[in-house]
Amino acid sequence: MRTPVLRPGLLLGAALLLLPAMTMPGQAPAAAAAGAPGLRYEIWVELDAAGKMLLGKEEIVWTNPTKDTVPDMLLHLYWNAFKNEDSAFLREARAETPFSRGDSPEDGEWGWVDITDIRLADGTDLKPTFRYVLPDGPETAGDQTVARVLFPVPVEPGESAHLRIEFKSKIPRTVARSGYYKNSFFIGQWYPKPGVYEEGKGWNCHAYHQNSEFFADFADFVVHITVPRGFVVGSSGKAADSRTDESAGTTTMTFRQAMVHDFAWMTDPRYLRVEQDFIASREVTAKEYEETASLLGLSVDEVRLPDVKMILLIAPEHKGQIERHFRALRAAIKYYGLWYGPYPYETVTMVDPPFRTGSGGMEYPTLFTAGTQVLASRAVLSPEGVIVHEFGHGYWYGLAANNEFEAAWLDEGVNTYSTGRVLAVAYGAGRLEFNFKGWPLDWFLRIPKAFDFESDRVAAINAVEFDPVTTWSWKFYNGGSYGANVYMRAATLLTTLERLLGEPAWPRIMRTYHMRYRFRHPTTADFIGVVNEIAGKDMTWFFDELLDATLPFDYGVAGLSSAKVPRQLRGVYETDGRREEWTDKTIEESEAAQPQAPAGVPEALYRTTVVLRRYGEARIGGDARIKVLIRFKDGTSETRAWDGQARWTRLEVLKPVEAESVQIDPEGVWLIDENLANNSRGTDGFRLNTSKLMTQLLFTVQCLLHFVGSWS
Amino acid sequence: MGVIKAIVSGIGTTLRKLRVLIILYVANACFSVIVALPFLAIVQKELGHSLYGSFIQPVDLMWLGEAMLKHQDALAAFVAGLVACGFAYLVFHIFLNGGVVGRLLDREGPADLASFWGDCGRYFWRFVRLFLVSLLFLALTLGIFMKLVSGLFAPLSEAAVTEWPPLILSNLHFLIALLLLSIVRMIIDYARIAVVADEERKALKALRQALTFLRKRFFRAWAIYLLIVAATVAGSIVFYVVLGRLGAPAVVQVVAALVWMQLYVVFRIWIGTLFVAAQAEFYRSHPY
Repeated sequence: MRTPVLRPGLLLGAALLLLPAMTMPGQAPAAAAAGAPGLRYEIWVELDAAGKMLLGKEEIVWTNPTKDTVPDMLLHLYWNAFKNEDSAFLREARAETPFSRGDSPEDGEWGWVDITDIRLADGTDLKPTFRYVLPDGPETAGDQTVARVLFPVPVEPGESAHLRIEFKSKIPRTVARSGYYKNSFFIGQWYPKPGVYEEGKGWNCHAYHQNSEFFADFADFVVHITVPRGFVVGSSGKAADSRTDESAGTTTMTFRQAMVHDFAWMTDPRYLRVEQDFIASREVTAKEYEETASLLGLSVDEVRLPDVKMILLIAPEHKGQIERHFRALRAAIKYYGLWYGPYPYETVTMVDPPFRTGSGGMEYPTLFTAGTQVLASRAVLSPEGVIVHEFGHGYWYGLAANNEFEAAWLDEGVNTYSTGRVLAVAYGAGRLEFNFKGWPLDWFLRIPKAFDFESDRVAAINAVEFDPVTTWSWKFYNGGSYGANVYMRAATLLTTLERLLGEPAWPRIMRTYHMRYRFRHPTTADFIGVVNEIAGKDMTWFFDELLDATLPFDYGVAGLSSAKVPRQLRGVYETDGRREEWTDKTIEESEAAQPQAPAGVPEALYRTTVVLRRYGEARIGGDARIKVLIRFKDGTSETRAWDGQARWTRLEVLKPVEAESVQIDPEGVWLIDENLANNSRGTDGFRLNTSKLMTQLLFTVQCLLHFVGSWS
Repeated sequence: MGVIKAIVSGIGTTLRKLRVLIILYVANACFSVIVALPFLAIVQKELGHSLYGSFIQPVDLMWLGEAMLKHQDALAAFVAGLVACGFAYLVFHIFLNGGVVGRLLDREGPADLASFWGDCGRYFWRFVRLFLVSLLFLALTLGIFMKLVSGLFAPLSEAAVTEWPPLILSNLHFLIALLLLSIVRMIIDYARIAVVADEERKALKALRQALTFLRKRFFRAWAIYLLIVAATVAGSIVFYVVLGRLGAPAVVQVVAALVWMQLYVVFRIWIGTLFVAAQAEFYRSHPY
């Protein structure tokens, strides 16, 4: 029996109908290169709020986009990660917290997804071929988050498989990202979803791991969600229809979205739904368009932004923060749009995560969750940071859809870097967030401000020894290493690269990378390829040394001295055929006998010696140089450069004045340098701020000891 | 004796015995310098010659990250050293307490060094025993009461559908803990006073005497305690407001900040003596 086949042309036509707002002038190539999605979903799902269950039906049409003949399909069943403690997710969680249950649900709060029926459109039952598989090895033999079904006849290139699935899911009491609390539900990763078929390699369909996120193919979605009447629903995509069944006491809403690779929704009867428009002509000035276009080497039309419908679902207790949420979202739409490419969808839905559903700070295509608290300081950029970050994932994961299992830095790292840039431009530095019992401490104390790149660097330099940034997500040393490397170290490296390559190369790199791989699945090699292409030089060394290795980067000044050059050195010399000995005394007498130099002529020369060291293992490469700035006491300065290959080097400068200080990397290009304190050295040993720091340190110790003594 | 009168008399006593304050300040300063010295040396070594030291901030993330990385191997030793120093200071302070309570209770007596150190030695072991008993008392009282409060609040917090109930309950829980702590510490203060005033040698008996004393005049005694706490909070607010206005670092500002910080430390130590003096006045005025 042959697998039922749908003509790709029909799918293409359907996709184009769903895509009226997706292409922008000058932006077409990326989307066109990716083509229409070879995947289409129609899902009917009903929420049993009392029983915490989902009952679903799903139609999947998958078109084989490769030259391979595909005999099977691998499906993600993510919620089985919360089915029992034998899942890869909970095993890994437990391994990181050996003295507790990890993230395990309490008794009676497990979640799972059961495929109750799976067949082809012609009725062929695939259930007999259904098996759980272990794509990531036998270590987690009990994992059931990936299943395989066999087609009765393999799917030929360009042909389609049409599957009809019925599933029943128990919603977990939140473990991670999805779950319920009382009548609040956040539903993500909830439906059986095929992996990504890669030509010559087969299905890329990893298990649900604790330190990893997701990967899927672009698809067109139509989703019908039935909830109890009165429940407010927020969802990926655009609401197309809403019907209420009075007798059943339910409302069914239909949402549609083309060219996305996931679909999430939430519902809560208490929630407020607020809409605002991002009106590009109000948000972006003509000057900003012109400057951006000039920087990127594009026309103004190519960088022009579309309007976007912004939808906010927010808990009533956070009502006072509605404007705060929209302001942050407007900034994100504007700057991501200007820098990387216009937002291609009509809507974006921002969800204030329902209380105790553990769903905050998570991204899904056209929908993301933010996160705030009832007592929120305006000086702390929260929820702004999370809003910008999660919206930003619409670009880095949503559009440039890298494999989050295998190259998480491409979304988390690139997006953490981008978040920091948007926050810096839109808000400046934010106060560090410290709370006590729900109270922001900056209401009472002078909490310092910091830019994201500063806080990211703290983690970045402390994470280097554990794993390369490019490690596969679940293979990191632990969750801390995963987070610090994938988010902060990657972001710090990108800021370093930005400073190293400068304008206009860097903004053009980011723009090109995004637009070229929009609606595609880029890899680390793709990113490096774009960097090399646009920078016009081979920067592979940067990624080899810093991204794909665990080498600390630290260049520093080991020594600085300035000494008067004597007119004569001690010892025995032949002059005019006779041997003469110069001693300290004769040199001194000779110098005293010298006539005083006329005004403007230096009396003596000084030899300034600077010793530079490469303390770290990582080395700069290509045409990169360590810049050395020597300042002298007369206000002049000299700049030298070091290729940084050897372990150390010595520089000498002869000038009629003593040196005052030496500084390497005076422009602060090498943010990844793990010791900035040793990057400079003065000839004196007194620094006012250091003295202040020391007095505060002493004072802190005094107060601490007084406190200890008060318990006696 | 009334609440205010006890505090005013206490202030008078502490001002008459400024030498006690000086001894405590010198002890704190010397101990602090010893504890802080390794940290100060690290700061000077790493930033003294570096231009970074010219613009480093009190909480400088860029440098803190580096310091964490550089000293991660020594961190455990640092923490152990700090704990050891803290413990040593605690014992030393128990020793000093003998002198403090002894001299402050001897209202008209001298506050010379000989008398002070004499009292330190005389009461040391009694105060050590009292300290151990008070630790047990503190743990039991707070443990039992707070467990009860937690048990009462937990179902309310678990049933919450918004952030507000857990937030309010958590703050209420904290406030109750603070008030309870103030009561327990007040009881221990009076036990310490009883050791000296009544020459009580047994810690448990001193504690019982304090409880008996407070049973009849609890709220007045508590008011004294809380008023002095309020004065501490007010003084601290003034300190931080002024410190924040000292401006950008210049030599004058750094020196002014140092002096202001030291004045604050003196103030905190003085408040510590005021607790003893005011409560001693109150205790003495109500013989039982």
